[in-house]
Amino acid sequence: MSRDLSASVVVFLVALPLCLGIALASGAPLFSGIIAGLAGGIITGIISGSQLSVSGPAAGLTVIVATAITHINNYEYFLVAVVIAGFIQVILGFLKAGVIGNFFPASVIKGMLSAIGILLILKQIPHAVGYDNDVEGDEEFIQSDGHNTFTEFFDLSDNITLGCIIISVITASILLLWETKFISKSKLRTIPAALIAVLAGTLVSYLMNYFGHDAVLEQKHLVNLPVSKNIYQFADNFTIPDFVGGFQMAAVWTAGITIAIVASLESLLSIEATDKLDPQKRLTPLNRELYAQGFGNIVSGSLGGLPITAVIVRSSANVMAGAQTKVSAISHGVLLLISVMFFPALLNYIPLSTLAVILIFTGYKLAKPAVFKEIYNKGYDSFIPFIVTIIAIVFSDLLKGIAIGMFVGMIYVFKSNMNLSMLFTESNNNYLIRFIKDVTFFNKATLRKYLASVPKNSSLIIDMRKPIFIDDDIIEIINEYKITAATQQIHLEILKDVHQNLNSTTTNI
Amino acid sequence: MTQIEKLLLANKSWAQEKVLFDTQFFERLSKVQTPEFLWIGCSDSRVPANEITGTQPGEIFVHRNVANLVVNTDLNLLTVLNYAVEYLKVKHVIVCGHYGCGGVQAALTNKNFGLINKWLRNIKDVYRFHKHEIDALSNIEEKTNRLVELNVAEQILNLAKTSIIQQSWKENKGPTLHGWVYGLHNGLLKEIASMDHLSKLEEIYQYNFEL
Repeated sequence: MSRDLSASVVVFLVALPLCLGIALASGAPLFSGIIAGLAGGIITGIISGSQLSVSGPAAGLTVIVATAITHINNYEYFLVAVVIAGFIQVILGFLKAGVIGNFFPASVIKGMLSAIGILLILKQIPHAVGYDNDVEGDEEFIQSDGHNTFTEFFDLSDNITLGCIIISVITASILLLWETKFISKSKLRTIPAALIAVLAGTLVSYLMNYFGHDAVLEQKHLVNLPVSKNIYQFADNFTIPDFVGGFQMAAVWTAGITIAIVASLESLLSIEATDKLDPQKRLTPLNRELYAQGFGNIVSGSLGGLPITAVIVRSSANVMAGAQTKVSAISHGVLLLISVMFFPALLNYIPLSTLAVILIFTGYKLAKPAVFKEIYNKGYDSFIPFIVTIIAIVFSDLLKGIAIGMFVGMIYVFKSNMNLSMLFTESNNNYLIRFIKDVTFFNKATLRKYLASVPKNSSLIIDMRKPIFIDDDIIEIINEYKITAATQQIHLEILKDVHQNLNSTTTNI
Repeated sequence: MTQIEKLLLANKSWAQEKVLFDTQFFERLSKVQTPEFLWIGCSDSRVPANEITGTQPGEIFVHRNVANLVVNTDLNLLTVLNYAVEYLKVKHVIVCGHYGCGGVQAALTNKNFGLINKWLRNIKDVYRFHKHEIDALSNIEEKTNRLVELNVAEQILNLAKTSIIQQSWKENKGPTLHGWVYGLHNGLLKEIASMDHLSKLEEIYQYNFEL
């Protein structure tokens, strides 16, 4: 419980600038990101069956949301689309569409995690040194500030801010100190390093501001939460969707359906990934997750918030901060609510560079060499889809990258199926072709190759007793080969089980 | 291709398949065996220990003879038992018979099989202990099948009578002894009897290890 609460503070601190950044990138009111954060934390958190997943506004939705907002051109209508998306997700959950989550290959999911790690490192380095042009939480290759992930680094040197560097170094030192044996043996280890780091970074930033130091941070280097003067002004931050108008607009429905599909996919991917990170290896019920996401979106949209998904960066920060149960995810939502209500001004002292360094460390843990080594040791069948997924995600975006990774993964499944379907053995001019798996037309080439390599005046056994399914194409090849064998003086013997009518009424062996 | 050549060819293909799915398979097994089970079964070709239990090489230590007998003067079986219990430290010893066992059926007749008589006489002794029950059954199949079950239970008892098992029970609280019968007609194993270190053995068979 106490570990959940301390982890929730870390997740809250990481989530805060991400919520604001994603709202900014989506072209929505800043506060809509916070609303989405608390809907994702509290509503989805309570309903979800996942213990470690954190939901909130998602980087992967910014392009869709930004386009929809421009196109619909009325924020109250757009909110109707968010609510529609939520209802569609609930229906998808009812239809048990969550099973889709079982079809993502492990190597692709692990590739996605490492890609997110690499992206975190690359995207956060500019923020760590005080180059805060791109919005927080951007995961696209082509960034909202016009640069791409790598060109951002070209003008980095001109934009370094001394104060940010000082704070980043302090943050990194604290995080590194917490990795040492000195801390892991002491009682301090129960406090997440990120929490200490944020407190230290904020204190330094506050002191520099107070004493008017040269390195004083400008507002753009700090968290930038909207501050309300009183409770009425705070209430103004919430917007109610205009259902009457929204329902009549086709673009609202299109946006709702698009958001529902993309948000569901991203959530299922994130859930799969978070389950992989869980030290206790708990499995999240996927259909229930769609309900949870749906209700989260209904609530978020109804209050004026952005659409939500389960999100990997916050979830992995949650895991690494030592969360045990969903108390952490729910509390992070509560903390968002309390903080924006009661002490927004205080939070605006938190330097972005501190949060950037925390995310860089999270990124390193997702993409450290040991992960690559582990998957490399599993063989090329896993490693190639893994690497392809990483490269594709880093150079495009999450969903495109996953699609490419899945495609390559599928090719490898076919390839290994082709290679592993039958064995070819020779001993003293005697040959044996033994089917060890179901054989289909994919295996024709292999079978033809083996048959062709049996020389004249030899003996060949084809053992087809093991597979349950044998394609007609294969039987045809064998029937044709009987003639070849006779002319080449190859003594052919076919071993098959009595039950094997070989799935065919017309072809017989 | 001769039948023997076929076996050799099939063996090569089998080894190829093992390595295909687990490159270290033979390398690992060539170093050490750590089976958890000792299998005392019938020599009948239709009851292969590994195949019917879904186990891989390295998982079961096997001894097979006609009608799965545990005879207290059989140096062959006692050596296997001693090695399995004392050195391999198996956790379970399984005696597995099978319905329709030719050896058991032969023992129920008065036919003379020459040398084999001496081996089958052990089964005739089991029959004598349960004469009433078996004679009450109507046909030879039923009599054979019941004697198969009683024979397995008797062999479990024979194992428990050995000082090898008793000493191991005293020192290691193991192995557990299991009596099973395999159905040739449906491929299923049926549990008949079991004994472990807590089981009561007639006092006259209990050895005193304190010296």
